[in-house]
Parts: sequence; structure tokens; C-alpha cells
Amino acid sequence: MAEYSVVWPRGPKTAKLVELAPRLDSLEGRKVAFLWDYLFRGDEIFPILERELAARYPGVTFVPFSEFGTTHGEGEHEVLANLAHRFTELEVDAVVSGMGC
Amino acid sequence: MLRASAAAELAGVPTSSLVCEGFLGQAATTAVGLGMPNLAVAPVPGHVDTQAYEVLERNVVEVTLPAVIDNLVSPRPDAVEVADPERTDIVFTGSFEEVNRLYYENGWSDGLPIVPPTIAAVEEFLGFTDLDADHSFGPLLPDNRAATVWSVAVNGVMAGCRPEYLPVLLAIVEGLADPAYGVEHSGNTPGADTLITVNGPIAAQLGFNCEQGVLRDGFQANTSVGRFLRLYLRNVAGFLPWQTDKATYGNTWRVAMAENEPALSKMGWEPQSVDFGFAPGDNAVTISRYTGGGVVTSVFGSTPEEMVDYLADGLAKIGGWEYVFTIGVAGGTYRPLLLLSPVLAETIAKAGWSRADLKRAVWEKARIPAWKFEHYLGPWTNLVPGRRSLEDFVNMRRAPKVYAESADRDRLVPVCTEPEHISIAVTGDPLRTNAYVFAHNGMLGFPVAKKVRLPEGWEAKLSAARAR
Repeated sequence: MAEYSVVWPRGPKTAKLVELAPRLDSLEGRKVAFLWDYLFRGDEIFPILERELAARYPGVTFVPFSEFGTTHGEGEHEVLANLAHRFTELEVDAVVSGMGC
Repeated sequence: MLRASAAAELAGVPTSSLVCEGFLGQAATTAVGLGMPNLAVAPVPGHVDTQAYEVLERNVVEVTLPAVIDNLVSPRPDAVEVADPERTDIVFTGSFEEVNRLYYENGWSDGLPIVPPTIAAVEEFLGFTDLDADHSFGPLLPDNRAATVWSVAVNGVMAGCRPEYLPVLLAIVEGLADPAYGVEHSGNTPGADTLITVNGPIAAQLGFNCEQGVLRDGFQANTSVGRFLRLYLRNVAGFLPWQTDKATYGNTWRVAMAENEPALSKMGWEPQSVDFGFAPGDNAVTISRYTGGGVVTSVFGSTPEEMVDYLADGLAKIGGWEYVFTIGVAGGTYRPLLLLSPVLAETIAKAGWSRADLKRAVWEKARIPAWKFEHYLGPWTNLVPGRRSLEDFVNMRRAPKVYAESADRDRLVPVCTEPEHISIAVTGDPLRTNAYVFAHNGMLGFPVAKKVRLPEGWEAKLSAARAR
């Protein structure tokens, strides 16, 4: 019976492991930004999260998704390229990003 | 959405990503490709689109919120690097059946038998390019793997292509790697599939069918090249069903198509590739992602005027939610495709109409009521938030004025913003009066065309390959 010695069909990885940003001690007194892809009811979900986080951490403040624009579709590349700058400008401490549905 | 989270993490800001329950697997595999397998995710139960507000609110408060807090304040587990084989490493030796079983079990094949990719078979393919085997056209998301010439050859072997097809396969992959195409969206839930169109003398040289049954399997070049693309998306871009390929239904790959250039030449029309900046006679490949298609059967008439209403009707009916790519999600990126059989195109050309004339005439007629267009964007899909009217989009300069010519809800508006956005190709049974229309996936598979680069000594190599 014929035998075949075969190679792997995938390509070499280009992304190296990236260390995540350090987590926060608490959300108290921190500024949380919302990023939205303008899909799947983020406009209803982010206000719920804002209300509930504010109830648990009275000193937390928020940056609305409208500050950044859509993270999907025609604006994605530009919005993502500007994120670091915008976070510094707005003194953002943490991000909640949605919606993956 | 995860790409936004990754950008935030890179900027030093901790994130939590909101992901619906059915998409957690996709999120996990996508995060690996981003180099952040430990990216923090907060689940949202079920799918939000079917939930009453009270249910959605309860789910977010009880399930999502605690995860969001945990994601932002608790340390994340360390990520672990997994080593891959080198390209010439032999990963297995065995019989045809054993090789196929291994490839299937590892998710490297589509379930049909593959041709075992031995080094000898791959090297035979590499004889049909002057590029180095390690040359990369760029990384392909979501797995972020390099689209190398070697990997193109391997997957070409597996798909059942002939070695001389390699220049076409390389042009396809160059197209996938073009950021304008948007390969990263290839696993979206509507499950659109890419259509490959081959133009130039190479189509005939390689035996691509451009006549009867052009979209049917049964012709080695058309079938195997179409299969190659799906295998490449699986193995190099990393789109696997139940993981990153989230097609709700999906379908098998589209066989590659060729335009009937002898017929075009006879009627005095230029090939479709000319729309992308190529000269007539250039070898080129166009790729574009279509959500679905349908035949327009028995187009009756001896003049273009008699045909255009029916062709436009087909084009208007095939679309629906896709009009969010005309206005809303990515305005002006909806590019539907109309295929004409040569007998139809010849009849239209005989009247002195150019391809551009036909595009304009079809665009004028391919229209739907304004209320329906708005419902595709908002009430029926919720894909464009804000429930805006077409007049609102015109006022915001996100749509041309043709969408707000009156306040009549029943007024007819075009399915795409410009006549040039309608692609037309001539192919199919030369003597049957049928056409075919494809709805397009907008920026999530935008049309791109690439030159097919032939190796030095192409003619001699091709002759030798044909003789084998």
C-alpha cells in the first residue's frame, strides 16, 4: 500500500503573545469607557451596565460609546487607530467593549 | 469587537468584552489569533435580539455584570505559547485513508478526500511561480497566520488543483490579504461565500469553464480552485465551523467562474476586470463575497429596453438586509453582481449599449419602496441603530440625495448608491436567455482584483504540465 509523508497545511503565526494590561484594584473612582460596534442592542445594554456599576461604585465615571464612534463597519480602522490617543485624552482606566453576537 | 478590545489592551487599558452565549467559542479562538488568548470575556445569555427588555436587563444584571467586574479587577491567567511545525516538517506518514483521517480529525480538511500534500507534490506547484516559498502576502485574520506561497501550494495540492493553477491561487490569496477585501469578516453569521472570477487568456489555458453550467461543479479548474479558497480560509485564515466560522447556515464553496472573453470580444465589450483597472487581455482574478444568488430565467425581448425591467427586478429582489451596506453600516459598499449569458449580452450590445449603459439603466429600475428599505435597516433587523429615515441619512450626508427626493413612503429608491456599483459579467450557456443575480456582503467581502503573475517560461511549463 502506498504511503504518503505529508506536511502541515497551516501558515506560520504572525501574532506573538501579548501581555494584557494590568487589572485595576477596584472600579471605585475609575473612569470606564464603552466601545460599541453599533450592533445587537448595545444602546440598551450599556445604560444598564452604567446604572448597575454606578450603584456598586459611587465614584465610578463613564465615557459613552458616542465619544469613539462605531468599532465595526466603515469606521473601524480609523476608530481603532485613534483609541490609544483618545484613552489618554479622556483619562480612561477601563473599557467595556460590545457586542459580539 | 474583540479587535477593539485588543487595541485597548495594547494601549494599556484593561477590557471586558461582551459576547453572546453562542459566540463564546468564536471569541476564544479569535483571541488566540490576536495574540491574547486570555482576553477577558463577559457572557450575555442567549441572543439579545429575541429578548424582551426585561429579560435582557435581568440577564445583563445577573450574568454579564459580575463577569464585567471580574474581568476588570481580577488577574487574568497567563497565556501559553503553542509551537507549530516548520513548513517542511513531516507531520505524518501513512496511507491515503490514514492521511485523510488525520487531516479531517485535526480540522484541516472539509470532509471530502484531500490529495496528500507531500513535499514532492508541493514542490511541483512551486515550479509555477518565481516567488520564494516563504514570500508572504500578509497575515490573515482571525488566526493571523502568514499567507505564504508555500501554504498556498500545500492547500492547492489538497484541493485537487493542478500545479499549473498556482498563479491563479496566488492571485486569489493576494486578494484575501488586501485590507479592502476584509477577510476577517469571512466567518460572519449570514454565511456569505466568495465568488472567484478569472479573466484573461489564462482562463482558457487552464481549462476554466465559462459556458453552460459555469457555476456547477464538474470542471476541474473551476471546482478545485473554488474548493482551494475554502480550504485556505480554514487552514490559514482560521475559519472553522463551530468556532470562528459562525455562518448560521452557510453552504459549500462557490466554484470559480470565468468570463466568456471570446463572446465579449465578438460583441465589443471589455472584460469585467477592466472595471478594476486592468487592460483587456490581462490575466486577473476578482474575488467578492456574495450572500446568495438566484436565476432570472427566460429574459424575453429583442432590445435592451425590453429586457432591463426584468433584470432590474431580479437585482432588486435578491437583496434585503444587505442594503445596510448601501446606507447605514458601511455606506456605498453594496456591490451586487449581474451575470448575463452571452446571447443576452450580445442582444444588448447589438443595440449599441455599453456595459456602463446597461449598469445605468438597471440602476434606474432596480428600486424598492423607501419604507421597505428603511425596514431592512431598522425595524426588521435592528442592524442600524436609531431608527433613522432615509431623509435623516441624506441630511447627515451619509446617503445621496436620490434617497430623499420626496416624503412619500412608497417612493422608489435604488438598491445601491451608484450605477457603477453594479458589477456585470458575461458567462454561462451562450445560447440560453437566462441571467443570474448575486446579493453582496458589502465591506465584509468587498470586490478586489489582482493580477495573475506568470512565472518565467510559462508557456513551456504549461505545455509540459499538459503533457503529463
